Amino acid sequence: MAKRVLVVDDAIFMRNMIKDIFASGGFEVVGEAANGLEAVEKYKELKPDLITMDIVMPFKSGIEATREIIKQDANAVIIMCSALGQESLVMEAIEAGASDFIVKPFRAEDVLAVVKKVLGEGA
Amino acid sequence: MAPVDMSKYLGLFVSEATEHLESLGRELLALEKEKTRDRVDAMFRHAHSVKGMASSMGFEGIAVLAHRVEDLVDGVRGDLGLLSREIVDALFAATDALSAQVKAAAAGQVPPDTAALLELLNARVVALTGQPPDPTSVMDATVENTHPGRPVPRPDPAPPPPPQPAPSQAGLGLPPRFAVRVKIAHSCQVPGVRAFLVHKKLSALGAVHELRPALEELKAGRIPDGLISLELETPAGETGVRHAVRNISEVELVSVKPAVPKPAAPPEVAGAPGGAAPAPAGAGAAEKPKEPDTGSRTVRVKTELLDYFLDAVGELMLATARIREVGKVLPAPVRPPLEEAVYRLHALVKDLHDKVMSVRMTPLSVITDRLPRAARDIARKRGREVELSITGAEIELDRAIIDDLSDPLLHLLRNCIDHGIEPAGQRVEAQKAPAGRVAVTVRRQRDRVVLEVEDDGRGMDPQKLKDAAVARGHLTAEAAGRMTDREAFMLACLPGVSTAADVSDISGRGVGMDAVKRAVESVGGTLEIESEKGRGTRFTLRLPLTVAVVNLLLVQAGAEIVGLPIGKVLAVLEADHAALSRSRETPLIAHGSSLLPVHVLAELLHVPPSPRTGVRPYLVMESDTGKVALAVDRLLGQEEVVLKALSRPLDLVAGLSGVTILGSGRPIFILDVPRLLAA
Repeated sequence: MAKRVLVVDDAIFMRNMIKDIFASGGFEVVGEAANGLEAVEKYKELKPDLITMDIVMPFKSGIEATREIIKQDANAVIIMCSALGQESLVMEAIEAGASDFIVKPFRAEDVLAVVKKVLGEGA
Repeated sequence: MAPVDMSKYLGLFVSEATEHLESLGRELLALEKEKTRDRVDAMFRHAHSVKGMASSMGFEGIAVLAHRVEDLVDGVRGDLGLLSREIVDALFAATDALSAQVKAAAAGQVPPDTAALLELLNARVVALTGQPPDPTSVMDATVENTHPGRPVPRPDPAPPPPPQPAPSQAGLGLPPRFAVRVKIAHSCQVPGVRAFLVHKKLSALGAVHELRPALEELKAGRIPDGLISLELETPAGETGVRHAVRNISEVELVSVKPAVPKPAAPPEVAGAPGGAAPAPAGAGAAEKPKEPDTGSRTVRVKTELLDYFLDAVGELMLATARIREVGKVLPAPVRPPLEEAVYRLHALVKDLHDKVMSVRMTPLSVITDRLPRAARDIARKRGREVELSITGAEIELDRAIIDDLSDPLLHLLRNCIDHGIEPAGQRVEAQKAPAGRVAVTVRRQRDRVVLEVEDDGRGMDPQKLKDAAVARGHLTAEAAGRMTDREAFMLACLPGVSTAADVSDISGRGVGMDAVKRAVESVGGTLEIESEKGRGTRFTLRLPLTVAVVNLLLVQAGAEIVGLPIGKVLAVLEADHAALSRSRETPLIAHGSSLLPVHVLAELLHVPPSPRTGVRPYLVMESDTGKVALAVDRLLGQEEVVLKALSRPLDLVAGLSGVTILGSGRPIFILDVPRLLAA
């Protein structure tokens, strides 16, 4: 069965791109969220296999959201979508329980490679 | 894997980046008035979003500019006092350049050169932070679009050595200990974070010892050759270690083998699971709750699609009217069921039309949001001080009207600041506040929206306008002499009159008051100008809520049938033409307490008048010079129609405002009576 993904980013542009990447990799995007608050809600509701999480978002940052989701479910798999220059934030997210990260701008191959590895489907 | 075609994201990129840049500009403007941390944080977010999107699209120019904005904003985050006028100006310039670049990207054009601006921004970043800005990472768009993409940096997995028996530390009561060496891939953009993740994942398996380089070095990315070595005490065994490393991207397992424990070595505990590592200073501060993001639950629709919906619904309405007409000639027994069905269809289409119209309604803020920034720029260029207030911008209008009003509104603002507001010195002499006031007020008035742009400047001089109009040959000196001041102000709307007085960089951009008036009238609105010397000028735009559907009064003039917007017909009178009183050659008709000049519609249209005599209807309508009565041959009834704009060359015919198709299938013109009379 296709793995179920929740895409979190405040930019529709980014969400669409990430959704397309997952679709091309045979994943099922089951939901999206535009901020950390929504992300936590949607995670409770959808229980996805994987979350991609933007860091800088209104209301609640990706780091806060990661912390809360991991508190609910220590096994949640969260991949941070970061940019160069956000190294310390990504490390903070990893501290909070994020499983891995990708660096914008990313290409489909890189994203899917990271995701597959994280889900234990790596080579 | 197929390459990702980024071009399909272009539309979304453009619309979303534009929104971010508009918000950025707004925050910047607000920041100039009041410096708050929230605003700076919001600006950072906007710039950051634009950078991320642009770098994904491969738009390097945009990404780099946005990155510099991010740097500058980040640089003042800690101390808002650092936010100097120079930095604000640089941020404004960068925001403008970004908008121009996004526009160019949208149009597929070569982006404007920003080398000089970048140099300036770099200098500001250096001055602010003491460091040169970091390079910006951008997707190579050309490669992306033509090649299957760069191969994933996937290190060759080391050939698995024959499994070794787990080294027993049973004697010490400790889990087995392994010496682990891993290598971070060269291609990794953020080796520090990658190394930190490796450390974190391995720490989850057990206690880490002998970490080389040390954790702080790792985090800082100081990892010679990308090689990390450590010893791991873990019950997961060699398989567990291999498995863990295999599931981390950009990392190669160089070796894992049993290690000899060094009982004396103190364990390294930093970074243990559970999060004991201190959060980096300043991190997280940008993550406070922000202003509501109401856009998150909406759907984006292309405006062309909305136009299409409206067109389609319009055609549906016409088709329904056509069916009704056809039904009228059917034999009586079959008519009732058809009429009932048509009635239902009409109700459904009408409802659909209302919904489509409501979707098209857009708040005026879409265009008034640009005004504060424009006011600032114009005022600065002209050395004026201006306070702009905008009220009622939440009022909604059809977006077709909004789109057409954007430039005229900007022109009116320019006009107020450029020609209206006096220099501060003059204002003080005239006992006015040094800063000029421009007020944009929007309010609903029944089925219209009234938009006023008002300044408290020097006002317009009716005599100068008359002189300019006479000089340009628009009217004779004699006619000018008879004009009231109110009429004289409208002369500003004649081509060349408003721009004749002084052509400045700002007002003389080709949009004169004539273009403003034309734009307002083309959407079915009216423009009025009031002015008082020394006190100021007020432009009043009365606009319809929608352009598309009008209630028409169908009238016959000679053999011609034309439509008049029913809202513009003030009254209908009946009289015998032969019995009308006359002043010189003009017939007059009594309406209320006044006598109105009569115009015969057939004559205005240059069609042969009907030979009919006796009592006929007269429509009381407004013209540029007051009320008039329009003699028609017959009133044919009322019809709700979908207005279609005229295309070339018909739009050049003065007095026609549009065309429509009646239920009978007959096309008819809709008249613009004031322009018909003025022609």
